[in-house]
Amino acid sequence: MLVELGLVLIAGLKFGAIYALAALGLVVVHKATKTVNFAHGAFAMLGAFASFLIVVQWEWPYWTAYLLIPITIGAVAALLEFVILRPLRRADMFTVVIATVFLGIALGEAFRLTYNTELLAVPGMFAGSPFVYWGVIITQETLWVIAGALVTAVGCVIVFRYGKLGRGMRAMAASVRGAQICGYSVDQVYMVAWCLGGALAGLAGVFVAPIAGVSVELSIAVITAGFVAGVLGGFDSLKGAILGGLLLGVIESLAAAYISSAMKNCVSFFLLFFVLMWRPEGLFPEKVARRV
Amino acid sequence: MFKRFAFGGVAPFVAVLLCTVLGLALENYLKYVIAIALVSMLIGVALVVLVGLARCITLASGAVMAIGAYTSTLLMTRVGIPYLIGLVCAAATGALAGWLIALPGTRFRGHNLAMVTLVFQAVAIILLREAKWLTGGAEGIHVPQPVIFGWRVANDADFLLLIGLLSAVAILLLSILVRGPFGKNLQAASGNEIAAEAFGISVPAYLRAAFVISSMAVGFSGALAAPRIRILDPESFGVLPSIFMLAYPIVGGMQSVWGGLLGGGGLRILPEFLRPVADFQELFFASLVIAVVMFFPGGMVELLRRSTGRLFSRTNKQLAGEAPPLPAIIPAEPIAHVAPTMPANSSEVLLRVEGIDRHFGALHAVNAASITVPVGGIHGLIGPNGAGKTSLFNIISGFLEAEQGDIDFAGTSLLDRPARDRIALGITRTFQHVAVFGQLSCLENVIIGRGRNAVVDSIKQSFDHFVGGRAAEAAIREALAALDAVGLADQASKPASSLSLGNQRRLELARAIVSNPRLILLDEPVSGLASDEVEELRQLLSRTSAERQIAMLVVEHNIPFVAKLCRTLSVMGSGAIVAEGNPKEVITRPGVRQLYFGEQTAA
Repeated sequence: MLVELGLVLIAGLKFGAIYALAALGLVVVHKATKTVNFAHGAFAMLGAFASFLIVVQWEWPYWTAYLLIPITIGAVAALLEFVILRPLRRADMFTVVIATVFLGIALGEAFRLTYNTELLAVPGMFAGSPFVYWGVIITQETLWVIAGALVTAVGCVIVFRYGKLGRGMRAMAASVRGAQICGYSVDQVYMVAWCLGGALAGLAGVFVAPIAGVSVELSIAVITAGFVAGVLGGFDSLKGAILGGLLLGVIESLAAAYISSAMKNCVSFFLLFFVLMWRPEGLFPEKVARRV
Repeated sequence: MFKRFAFGGVAPFVAVLLCTVLGLALENYLKYVIAIALVSMLIGVALVVLVGLARCITLASGAVMAIGAYTSTLLMTRVGIPYLIGLVCAAATGALAGWLIALPGTRFRGHNLAMVTLVFQAVAIILLREAKWLTGGAEGIHVPQPVIFGWRVANDADFLLLIGLLSAVAILLLSILVRGPFGKNLQAASGNEIAAEAFGISVPAYLRAAFVISSMAVGFSGALAAPRIRILDPESFGVLPSIFMLAYPIVGGMQSVWGGLLGGGGLRILPEFLRPVADFQELFFASLVIAVVMFFPGGMVELLRRSTGRLFSRTNKQLAGEAPPLPAIIPAEPIAHVAPTMPANSSEVLLRVEGIDRHFGALHAVNAASITVPVGGIHGLIGPNGAGKTSLFNIISGFLEAEQGDIDFAGTSLLDRPARDRIALGITRTFQHVAVFGQLSCLENVIIGRGRNAVVDSIKQSFDHFVGGRAAEAAIREALAALDAVGLADQASKPASSLSLGNQRRLELARAIVSNPRLILLDEPVSGLASDEVEELRQLLSRTSAERQIAMLVVEHNIPFVAKLCRTLSVMGSGAIVAEGNPKEVITRPGVRQLYFGEQTAA
């Protein structure tokens, strides 16, 4: 009984860590540009696909995937920001959202055209014997996903908190005009935000590839889970995104184990529905300093 | 003029029927293609309401369509309900789905809403796939041939006829709403929320209505297409089809019924000609939409309009565009308004603001402020920046809540009443930063100012406008008279955004007086105007107030303007009223001068 619960929780944390990573990229872009990037899921899918190319097709060492893919996808995201979103800088959010929605579709279709299969399988990084604690089996892969994704996420929070880059993005989110006056370039900050968001999406793709495989559907799965996780965390808080991701993973896993597998997917809609209706600031709001 | 206006509303209906008749003369395969395209046209028009006018992004059209298709099919196969009733039920379940999405969705705009629809879409398809006992799961269910009063709809011609007739009727109903006051109010609500609320348009109610009406039509279209698809399976209503439906109004043109027709029809037929390169079709469509968004925000309609001149009349000219030369029908005198019952120098109080308090954190923005405005009088409110004028003004106009005190307007307390209730009581306003509805014509702006803008009312009015009813005629006549009163009669059919700042301020005044209010709240009415325009506007305000017995409360920085215009004046400083009385006398008081210039009281 307890062992089963432990297994369910571990599985939930594994998905949750990936959701956290996906949510983090969305939140970083949103924090700087005030817009949700609907192509985010497609970036994650491209990351997963690149991971297939590196690991299966070209048989390079696995760690190169973790190194090269975030850099590549980050660069692709920055490039697309430059080509498609910079000309739309003066357009309203409505237009920008539509552009990113169809950008995501275009990326997914480009993938489908180059590699027309249903589902590509990618092996895990570790295949060693699992650890067993009090009857709960934890594979090395699971441990790696949870630890790796969380370390990356926490590192990201620290960079955002203390780095010059993070300061620029937060300034931009607070007031574009004010940040410009203080010497931050909108174009530069937006591009860097997209690059960072793309890198995080790519990394999420590498982590998720062994679990879910690579397919066009992956992009929708990643973006909906990432968005729900972000909303749970209040969408403007990086720490909230990480906690939201973990929470969503655990709740989904519990629902799948104890209610039904169909419920796993409905849970995210109900969570989104209720949080947006009754607690739009998220479940873990950042403390708002009251200054006078 | 009303005959021609009515024709404008009928034209899409006629076009759809013509497509149907044309299709009937063609070979069977083309009959099939046209039937499918007609369904897409209906979806396109439905999405013009939601995406184009209300500017809500929906990625759930596929799910809503699936809900409609499954509703009618399951009712036919499981319960044995006739197809026509199944269609009605499909519209109802579609509407229900729209209402459900709108519940959390319309509290937020932009990406939150889009994301809610995407999650709804994903979950709906999963549920349809998982509920095998009901829907047959991923293998799908067979849709029986519909029978309508003994007519078995079996071959391509039958289907085309059925789909053509029903979609034409649905498109007609939608186009009546789009072109009538409902559509205009929806555009106003998405264009400028605060101004819309001030004139009685409840923005959340309109967005919900847009979702419900649009989803109703999409659900209906699902049931309409179901027998033609033959086998229903969840995947054919997936995320990808949903997103491509979003492309219909964007590519076609978001502001008019024609945009929905062209986008829906065009994007649905195009793949049939792209068969040889079918693999690239989705990539092509996605790139097409990005290109349209970046370079042709007006879509195909705008492109056609540019190349063919005036073939497709602009939507924002619809109400006034067909009007005959205006002076001919403008009454010589302003339209009858509430007869002056009080002499202009009456001392009866119309608006009494008493002891209003408001804090922002530790800042005491409004401190026990009290002012009174007499019936038909013009009262000024001045004070240096940060004195609390705007806060007090916002409390009176209902956009900010007071912590204490009372506002009494002709015996009614205004506290706890939303801003949009004020117009019905006889209070309208203008805005410091002009807030005209830019995409709408001047005439349409003023018609909104009449204030009968509840959702149900505007739907009724839309049908009345369509048949050229007496109420519609009266609305146009009153609005033209108000435009004439401010000197804008010759601009009636121009989009409001094309006017100069001075004329936009006049338009705001026309919009504020058309409902014959008893009080107008003017928020810095002359800011940004040149000095000759200031004087013109002052005369216009004085004349309007005197002729129509309208009281005014004016917040303004331009002291000479206020001194000349107002009969009484209050001065605010640090949240409190520090001086009151005759303007010319008040502004010479040492305390007031000190407030503005820091002069010593002894000086």
